[in-house]
Amino acid sequence: MPYLEILATLMLVAFFVLLLGGIPVGLTLATTGFVFGYLGFGTLLFNLLPHRIFGVVTNYTLLAIPLFVFMGVMLEKSKLAEELMDVIGLAAGKLRGGLGIGIILVGVLMGATTGIVGATVVTLGLLTLPGMLRRGYDKGVACGTICASGTLGQIIPPSLILILLADITNQSVGTLFAAAMLPGVLLAGLYVGYVLLLGFLRPDMVPAIPPEERAMISGAQLTGKLFRVVAPPVGLVGAVLGSIIAGIAAPSEAAAMGALGSIVVAAVGRRLTFNVLRETVQATTRITAMVLFILICAQVFSLAFRGLQGERLVQDMFEFLPGGINTDIWFLMLLIFVLGFFIEWIEISYIAVPLFLPVFISAGTDLVWLSTLICINLQTSFLTPPFGWSLFFLRGVAPPEVTTGDIYRGVVPFVLLQVFGLVFCFFFPGIATWLPKAIGW
Amino acid sequence: HAQANFTWRMTSFYGPNAAFYSTGPGSAKDLVKRIDDMSGGRLKIQFYGAGELIPAAEGFDAVSSGTVEMNYANSYFWTGKSFAAQYFTAVPFGLNFQGFNGWYYDGGGAHLWREVYDRFNLVPILCGNTGVQMTGWFRKEIKTVDDLKGIKMRIPGLAGRVYKELGVDSRLIAPGEIFPSLERGVIDAAEFVGPYLDRQLGLHKVAKYYYTTGWHEMATASELTVNKAKWASLPADLKAIVENACAACNVISEAWCQKNNAEAMEDLIKNHGTIAQPLPDDVVKALRAATDKILAEAVARDPVTKKVHDSYMAYKAKYDDWADRSETVYHNKIRKG
Amino acid sequence: MPPTEKLAGGIDAFIDLVGRAVSWIALVLALVMGANVFLRYGFSLGWIWAQELEWHLLVPITLVGMSYAMLHGDHVRVDVLYARFSPRAKLTVDLMSAVIAMIFSGLVIWLSLAYVNQSWSIGEGSANPGGLDYRYIIKAMIPAGFVLLLLQSLSQAIRAALAVKAA
Ligand code: NA
Ligand code: NA
Repeated sequence: MPYLEILATLMLVAFFVLLLGGIPVGLTLATTGFVFGYLGFGTLLFNLLPHRIFGVVTNYTLLAIPLFVFMGVMLEKSKLAEELMDVIGLAAGKLRGGLGIGIILVGVLMGATTGIVGATVVTLGLLTLPGMLRRGYDKGVACGTICASGTLGQIIPPSLILILLADITNQSVGTLFAAAMLPGVLLAGLYVGYVLLLGFLRPDMVPAIPPEERAMISGAQLTGKLFRVVAPPVGLVGAVLGSIIAGIAAPSEAAAMGALGSIVVAAVGRRLTFNVLRETVQATTRITAMVLFILICAQVFSLAFRGLQGERLVQDMFEFLPGGINTDIWFLMLLIFVLGFFIEWIEISYIAVPLFLPVFISAGTDLVWLSTLICINLQTSFLTPPFGWSLFFLRGVAPPEVTTGDIYRGVVPFVLLQVFGLVFCFFFPGIATWLPKAIGW
Repeated sequence: HAQANFTWRMTSFYGPNAAFYSTGPGSAKDLVKRIDDMSGGRLKIQFYGAGELIPAAEGFDAVSSGTVEMNYANSYFWTGKSFAAQYFTAVPFGLNFQGFNGWYYDGGGAHLWREVYDRFNLVPILCGNTGVQMTGWFRKEIKTVDDLKGIKMRIPGLAGRVYKELGVDSRLIAPGEIFPSLERGVIDAAEFVGPYLDRQLGLHKVAKYYYTTGWHEMATASELTVNKAKWASLPADLKAIVENACAACNVISEAWCQKNNAEAMEDLIKNHGTIAQPLPDDVVKALRAATDKILAEAVARDPVTKKVHDSYMAYKAKYDDWADRSETVYHNKIRKG
Repeated sequence: MPPTEKLAGGIDAFIDLVGRAVSWIALVLALVMGANVFLRYGFSLGWIWAQELEWHLLVPITLVGMSYAMLHGDHVRVDVLYARFSPRAKLTVDLMSAVIAMIFSGLVIWLSLAYVNQSWSIGEGSANPGGLDYRYIIKAMIPAGFVLLLLQSLSQAIRAALAVKAA
């Protein structure tokens, strides 16, 4: 094994050690990147770091993060989120897992407004996690549901992953958007099924609101409360989505509508004070910076991985592969899945996909279908421990009693559901290829 | 005697698999291969698409500081560094492919370009051309100058500034978001490249009117920039190889565009119901007047721009006169006569 | 109170002040984007500079916000094992983290000075006519933000070191 490949491997090992040793995520990325990059190629490539940092902090699509976070924090600080979960729980009646299902649906709605995981996971976490915990949901299940629902936006259009894949595979963005629609719904359905099943098998993990508490509130009262408490946040997300569908705003701009809308909603509910506004902007700034700081640090790691020719590691494995196009597809899927433990999706797409693309093109593989499979898989990488973006984003806004361990434990079933969804789409390509043809995109 | 070998990096403004720019005849990857073949492997270049090593718009600075040896882009992305850079890609109502090549190779263009880039430690070399681009996709028909007022259009750069003079709301939208924005009507119109690449983006599915011939980019040149010190370190034969590979790619890429655009345009009109037509005369006239005004302002602000502008326009005057007696006659009388 | 602790207190107060002031930009961002949408949709009005301003605002939120987030302990770590560490081991990890953050900040500052200088020396403006010029100002926020992060990590290092000593 050549020197650089040994370093690249050692870098991944050191990364795990520091990460599990409790060094903050961003600093773990930066340290391993700098140290092993320096050993491999000296300082030269690191001169590119400012270019990459500038690229992160001026990335237009990342504007969705502060804006959605603003919306989430405003609803939380103005105490609108507090009652939200109770009312959804009451409305679900004796249905166990009702809260979880509500969150998955909100995840689908938010996913249709943005393709930025940080924005959805953080907002969902702020809005729903405390409520679920108060209602006796298992910490892992609550966190897993939020993380998985928050990543649905990666497959439900608009989605950054699909935009990048369209670029890499030379497909129309519109076609890929349409292709991912049904698989996205399928995944959401799988999540719902899982939560319902839990309600059946492990009622203690996803409890319904106790009957005596439900009895205390009449149907009319509940309707009134639904309107007062649930309508504002759900209506807000609906308005964000509506402004995109009506062509009033582009997706990132729609997020701004959500932020401003949350101020209006708080004001109408007579909960807007100067203090609430001040606390909202402060929390928004800190959470946004926390998310982007990890992205900035990831630039060091990515540069080092490139400089150490980590893509060679991947290439070498490919050489040993026995023939057959399905073998290639599954190898690519496995590779993306495994890379998802360490590195982020942009790097994965650039390292893994172009390498295989010529093979698939010459074999006549349907690239729309293939891109959908890749997208589901990349979405999964947000959830796989130990390095999963959504896991960190949720940790950043979760109450202190929720540990990373709870989150790791909670996402495992959802990762399995993702794998199931992937296999399903592999054997039934129509779920991806039918819609683009049907609507002519 | 032993000859030195070079291993260089090339970054690009375009994604690693972007058709025309990164892959295909005359693209950046083709250029890299030609240099490798011609030099017998003595100049090996590793190509990185946008985002692989650095973000798209960072190549200029990275080559300028010498961290990366080469970058592939279009010069008009660097008008924030020097406005004169606009002229080395395309100027509204400017030269076409033949005219631009004439200015570049024989009319002093190449020399001026090197002069403008010199203070950034860069050596620019013309290495590709999309040929003529298209005005763009509109959801509604444009019949008069007034129809443009209030139109929300995706159109970056200088052309966006020109449209603004006519009351268009010029928008900066990233390529990936053009389709969804046009589809939902966030914008009413969008400019991208030409039939082949526009069709790939799916724009014909969401807008019906395709206004033909890009008045703003009659030919769009691609540049290879090389760090000045690194360039100086190359032996003469490798320099010649790079320059000749670039000249080859300049022609080959344009030929690729001609063929693929012709096929794509036919497909769009025949199979997708696209209505392809030129802009009305008075709209073109108004755009020309706005262009003249804005270029005059830019020339007045910056002596470097003035020098390049004067050279470009002087060549253009001669070329136009010659074209009137050759190309124009060919198109109007011989081909159609 | 030892002078080092005083220094840490001073740094904390300073970072908090800067962070609080800059955090209002989050509201400005929402207002600017909202105004851009409103003016375009309602009146077909828009300016290139106003569109560019949107992403310009993300720069201070992020780069100044980093140190502010660190002050309030918002940077995440994997606590699967950390939670089971002894108090002294935890403090040692904290001290290490703070020192790493200082070194990292120093490296970024050092690497980015040439980058900013390059932009400043050519008076870099917007690539879009009618856009926001003085691009070197936002580029200069990279080293500026990391100076703040360096200060804040120094304060964290001082506090962790004092606590290790006391433990
Ligand atoms: Na989405
Ligand atoms: Na992962």
